[in-house]
This record gives sequence, structure tokens and C-alpha cells, in this order.
Amino acid sequence: MSESTISKAGTIDRREFLKVTGGFLLAFTLEEGGNRAMAQAPTAAGVTAFIRIGADETITILVGGGEMGQGIFTGLSMAAAEELMVKWEKVKVEPLTAASSWLSAGSGGIRSRLPTFLKAGAAAREMLVSAAAQTWGVATSACQAIDGTVKNTATNEVLTYGQLAPLAATLPVPAAPVLTPASAYRIIGTAAARPDIPAKVNGSAKYGLDAVVPGMAFAIIKHAPTMGGTLKTTPSVPPGASAVVPLDNAYALVSWLPGANTWALMEAAKEIGSSIWNTPANAALLDSTVFQNQAMQLLGRGAPYIAEKVGDVDAAFATAAQVIERTYTLPYLPHACMEVLNCTVRMTPPTGTPTACEIWAPTQAPNSVLATASTVTGLPKTAITVYPMFMGGGLGRKFEQDYITQAIRTAMAVGRPVKLTWPRAEDMTRDQYRPMAVSRIRIGLDAVGGITAWSNRTVSPSIQSQRGRVLGATGDSNATEGGRALPYKFGSRLVDYVVHPSPIPVGYWRSVGYSINGFAVESAIDEAALAAGVDPLTFRQQLLSTSTDPLAARTLAVLSAAATLGGWSTAVPAGRARGIAVVQAFGTIVAEVAEISAPVAGDFILHKVACAVDCGTAVNPNSVEAQMQGGIFHGLSAAKWGELKWTAGQSNVKNFNKYRMTRMKEAPVITVQVINSGAAMSGCGEPGVPPIAPAIANAYAKLTGNRIRNLPFFPGATMGG
Amino acid sequence: MTTLNINGQSYQVDVPLDTPLLWVLRDILFLTGTKYGCGIAVCWACTVHVNGKAEKSCDYTVGAAAGKTITTIEGLSPDGTHPLQKAWIAEQAPQCGYCQSGMIMQAAALLLEKPHPSDGDINGAMKNVCVCGTYQRVKAAIKRAANGG
Repeated sequence: MSESTISKAGTIDRREFLKVTGGFLLAFTLEEGGNRAMAQAPTAAGVTAFIRIGADETITILVGGGEMGQGIFTGLSMAAAEELMVKWEKVKVEPLTAASSWLSAGSGGIRSRLPTFLKAGAAAREMLVSAAAQTWGVATSACQAIDGTVKNTATNEVLTYGQLAPLAATLPVPAAPVLTPASAYRIIGTAAARPDIPAKVNGSAKYGLDAVVPGMAFAIIKHAPTMGGTLKTTPSVPPGASAVVPLDNAYALVSWLPGANTWALMEAAKEIGSSIWNTPANAALLDSTVFQNQAMQLLGRGAPYIAEKVGDVDAAFATAAQVIERTYTLPYLPHACMEVLNCTVRMTPPTGTPTACEIWAPTQAPNSVLATASTVTGLPKTAITVYPMFMGGGLGRKFEQDYITQAIRTAMAVGRPVKLTWPRAEDMTRDQYRPMAVSRIRIGLDAVGGITAWSNRTVSPSIQSQRGRVLGATGDSNATEGGRALPYKFGSRLVDYVVHPSPIPVGYWRSVGYSINGFAVESAIDEAALAAGVDPLTFRQQLLSTSTDPLAARTLAVLSAAATLGGWSTAVPAGRARGIAVVQAFGTIVAEVAEISAPVAGDFILHKVACAVDCGTAVNPNSVEAQMQGGIFHGLSAAKWGELKWTAGQSNVKNFNKYRMTRMKEAPVITVQVINSGAAMSGCGEPGVPPIAPAIANAYAKLTGNRIRNLPFFPGATMGG
Repeated sequence: MTTLNINGQSYQVDVPLDTPLLWVLRDILFLTGTKYGCGIAVCWACTVHVNGKAEKSCDYTVGAAAGKTITTIEGLSPDGTHPLQKAWIAEQAPQCGYCQSGMIMQAAALLLEKPHPSDGDINGAMKNVCVCGTYQRVKAAIKRAANGG
């Protein structure tokens, strides 16, 4: 791939163009619209390649970030294929090299890189057209790109992209390729079939856990059972294993015995006693009851960060016709990805000073894996190859680096390739959890259903400060997102935040703060509507139609669309009730109407969900629908049953039997309406989650008179097979 | 040595008889289409067919599997054209896809037993956990396959 490089200093960005055997590869070294991580490119190889055209007419689009079901492989490839003028069915997708990749986070995968992939496709198309024009000795205006070929419009001669590729590879890269107007799109905006799906129905899709390296040993991780615990003594190697590798707060048990397998290691680990661990002195305080008491105390004192302040809430409360105050609590939650954490590593040579390192990992952050590997091995990034595998769910857990570091250290310690697997219990008990949270919301109402004062104090562990960031005056933005900058008309508002210094590690759980604050805010709005004696939809519509917030009009449209879709104004079937909620997250506005019944105590049935979503422009409405459905299920399971408690530093949840999730028999019918408002494009991987918990809570309160303010609805749930 | 008949092929494996079939498939025979989810017989990600019946391979020992006919996702059809596989693509069912091997094997066993399952049959049989929440499309795909595509 590096035999010949033609570099051009473009006026917009620097591009490079590579010839490859029998075809060519279009490469950009600096992306437009990239985030901070991308601005650190150029890459190890100096090249970011997005499109590969083979002599056999294969069209391959290379996409980064990592595919975990969110559809990034599809969305960005659609953009490149659109401009390249190729048939979608011909397109193959491969992971982009890690050095050029990026973090899949913040629902930004497609939104932030669509322009780059459009431009890459357009530049390649123009070069292929120029190559055809040269071949025929005609002007480029006499040539037309159609379905992977270029046609001479005067003679109807045709050359294929594969035929044109060698000449195209010698031509200059256009500085400003002409982009197709949106009105002429053939692929973007359609329900194009996902190219990753065929391999996912025949068992051939390779996830991280499926990596196979010749001669690899198997390994499992076992962490100290108590959070904060460390390894006191390295245990002797038990029967059924070949080595124990000490790893600070854990050990890896490794086997290269004949017939070695992951299960045999899990069995072998049972022979290792508990005396090998140091237990932290404060273990007794690592307790959910203690945490809850701390949070409630912090709610009433502590020095808050002011996330948002408009007007004088104290004065407004003093003159309000009615004031309500409500407190909402949410538990710690694990990610519980279907695919446990894992990583496969091969060092070259296996022992001694390494010269190369290869890593097969399910990762949301291939470029971070590269940096981690460089740090751990001491090798330059150019000596490291990361193979980003399919992720069996990521949900915000798989951009952490703990499992990567452990696998590299283990492979280096035993001097052979290693696949390291986290048994399910390790995955559940050593997560970086969604923070627990307590929110107290006070609302001052006037006599006609308006809100004159709004205050919301949130107490939760800070993801950012746990990662060593010094918080500014507004605190941890993740802790208050979804709680501030609300689109409603409030006469005054104060949103503040108190850090809860709990040592339980917290991280980014699909939609991060939005699922926490969205529940509190949209429940409280409903309670205010009840207090005002106004229908909850009408109440929200009034707060939005009178608001000057820049998102108020779009929010109103989405809310109203969901209400119509969910039959809000029609009679509710006997024994059922509907609830509604709307939350903006990552720029995407989602409203959901939940229709429930509760025929038996300790359960409810979610029959239907109507969901309206405005993400500006949907690249693939079918993928948007899938992400909304997925988000609703994720939020439903969490609201109904999701909880992880701590006793003496140990999690009560070690497997799915204590972490119940929605299954087919509990699945509602979800209807999704995608609204193309034409606003700036925004992401869809996470925003489906936040509205469902409050929509259900609002329906449940209406149905039963019982307002659920503490999630989950039904703690202590278990799941059988 | 234990002889296993998997996807029409005979395999000799040398592991203790209480080893779960799942780990022989994945770690010894490298038939990785069958997935590890929970390892405690709850999530059904590891579903395979034993003598045509859906079984959790994490909870089915090599000793018990010996002499029986085992089918994994790799062997469901020679070329990925089982009606369920086609229906799964038509409905664009998978997201992350990790649980889908087990889903498809569970559904295939259901259709062997009940070629035209009701909603209740589907709800009863499909106990598989899918964190992505593909249930609605999975149900549609099963019905599509049952109705001839």
C-alpha cells in the first residue's frame, strides 16, 4: 500500500493519494469537522484512506470509530458511495486503520464525518472521470459517472472504475470537488441495507471475542472481589492452568495446555483462595445505603457548581401561586454488553524486546488502543497494529482501556499470543458504571399553568473529576446535561450540581447524563402539570410555544408528532394509561408516548411506544428507527429493573440472572416517525434512551396514582432462562 | 477422546466430559458463531441445535453431546440462505448482531416444531436476551420466514 505516494498540498486540506496494486486508494490526511482527537492526525502512516477501488471493480469504503450496531459502517459508506456514483449493493465496508480512526462517542459518528466521506467520494469520482476524459481525448464535461463506470456521452463508450483506476491514480486530487445537491441523492435518505448484516446471520461476523491467532494461549481475568482491593500475593498456578500474571488489582490466569479453553480456566480459578487479596480499609463504607445517605445529605448542603442561572429564582418562588418540590433517585447501572470485555494480543518476537505488537479488540476507540499499546509496550505507534473487531455492544464501556492494558501485559509476561476474556462476573462487577444520582426539583407555578421558577439540584459522582479533570465553575457537564438548557419557558431558573465523592468508578453509559436528568426533569414537568390541573401534553405545549429557546419550536413539533402518533387525544383502552416525555440529547430531539397497563402488582405491561425523532436529516431512516427502538428497550429495561447495589465493596449483581432485561415476551410495539426538519444533522445512537423512563413513570402515575420517583420501578428483579 | 458430530462433520476432542459444548465449539474447534453471553444458562446467546432441538451450549456438556447431531449457526444452511437468514436480512434485524446467532437458532428450532407460530408461540420460545432491542424486527423476520419469505 505504500509503494508510491503522490502528495498534494490542497487549499482546503492536505490530501494524499496512493496507488495500490491493481487499483487505487484515495486518502485524506486531515479530516474536516473532526473532533480534537482527529486534529491530532496525520497518522502513523501519514495517510487516512477512505476508498479503495480494486481492478476487479470492488468498491471498499474504510470506516473508523468502530461498529457496535449503531450503523456507522452504513451511514458513512452511504455518503462516500453517493458521491462516488456506485451502486450501493456493490459497496463493501472495512474498518479504517486505527491510526486514522476516532472515538465513537456522543452520538457523533455519522454527523461529524459525513462531510469528509462525501468529499472523499466526490474527489475519487472526479479523478475517475478525468482519467476517462484523458483516455478518450475528450473534455470531462463529455463524460458521466454512472454506477461504477464512466460513459462517453457522445459515443456511449464505457470504461469501468476498475479499468480507470490505474490512470486515475496518477492524476491530481481535486481541491474542491463538486458535491451532489441533496435533491439528487440516490442513496442518502433511503433505507439502504446494512452491509454488516449478512455476516451477522451466518456466524461469520468476527467480534473481538472471536479473534483467533495461531498458537494463542487463553486467559481470563480475575479482579479483587472488593472494589479498591489489590493483589497481595501472586497465587501459585492451579491445576488446569499454565501461568498466573499479577496485574495490580487483578491476576490473569493463562493456559496453553492441550485442550486449553476459557471455561477450563474459570474452573481452575476456583482453586485459588481469597487470601491473596488486600481488602481496602474503607470497604464497609462502600455500601449502597451509605451512598444514598451521603447523597441525601449533600442535597441539603455542599458547595454546588452553578450549571445554569437565569433570573432570580428565590424571588420568583416567593411570589409563586404554588410551589412543588420533588426528589428523584437513580441507581448505579452496569453496561452489560452482550459481548464481555476481551482483547487478543500478539507480540513479535513473543519474548524479549518486542519490535511489533498486534491487537484484536472490540473497541469504540481504536486510536486510544494504539496509544495505550504504545505506552504499555514502549513501542512507537508505527510498530503497533490494531484490528478493530465488531463489538457485541459497546454502550460506552468499550472505549475504556483497562482490558486492553491487561491483555498486553499478559501477552508480554507469558511470551506468547494471548486472548484475554473477562468472565461475565468480572464484566458486571468491574464496570465503570452509570453514576447513581439524586435530583431535587422545585417548581414555582403561576395561576395559569406557567412556570415562574425552576430549580434543580443534582448530586452525583463526577465522571470527569474521577478521570482527573479539574471542574470549572459550571461543574461536570456530563452530570447536568439534560438538566440544563431546557427548551421550556421558565420565568427564572437555577440548575446546580454537587459532586458526590463516591469511589465507585463511573463512566459513560449510553446517553450519559441525559438518561439521568431526563427522567427527573420530565417526571417533574408532569407533576407540575398535574399540580396545575393541565393535561401534560398541553402543559408542555404551552411552555414550548411561549418559549424563546432556539430549540423550542422543533421540540414542540416533535412532541406534537409523537402525541399524534401515539393517539394522545383518542380514548385510552380500558385499564391502560399513556404518558409522554420529550428530551433533547446530542442535538437530537426525541419524544415518546408510552401506553401501559398494570394488571398485577409488581409489574406493568408496556404495550406500545410512539416515538418521534428530529435529527435534522436522517442519512438512513431505517437505521434511525432501529436506534430509537434499541434506545427504548435499553431505557425500558433500566427503568423497570436496572439496579446494581454495593455491600462492603462488592456488587450484588454478578450475572444476568440478577440483572433482568426485557425479552421478546415483554417487548412493546414501537412506532417511529422520523422528522427531517432540515436542521443541522445530529446523532441517533443514544437519544432514544432518555424519554422512555419518564414517559412510563408518567403513564404509571396516571394509571395507578403511584408516582415512581426512585428507579428502578421494581427492584430485586431476577431473570431465569 | 470424544467424537462430536457437528454440522455434518465428525470431530475428535480431548477434553473432560463435563466441559460445556460452548467452549469446545469456540475455543477448540474455532466455530465462533456460537456466542458466550452469561455462561449460566440465562441469555441463550449460545443456542445450538442438538438433535434438532434448541439447547444452551453453555449448559450442555460434551459428554451429553457425544453421539448426537449438533448444528451451529455455521451449519444452519450451506450458503446462508435458510429462510430465517433471508428474512433476517430482509427485516434488517441485527444491530450489534452478537445475540443473533442464538436468536436464529432458537427461531429455527421453533419453526421445525411449529411452522406457523402464533405471537404467543414466538414470545414463549424466544427467550434470548438482546440488549440492542431487536425483538420487534426479529418477530417480523420469524413471521416472514414462516410465511414463505
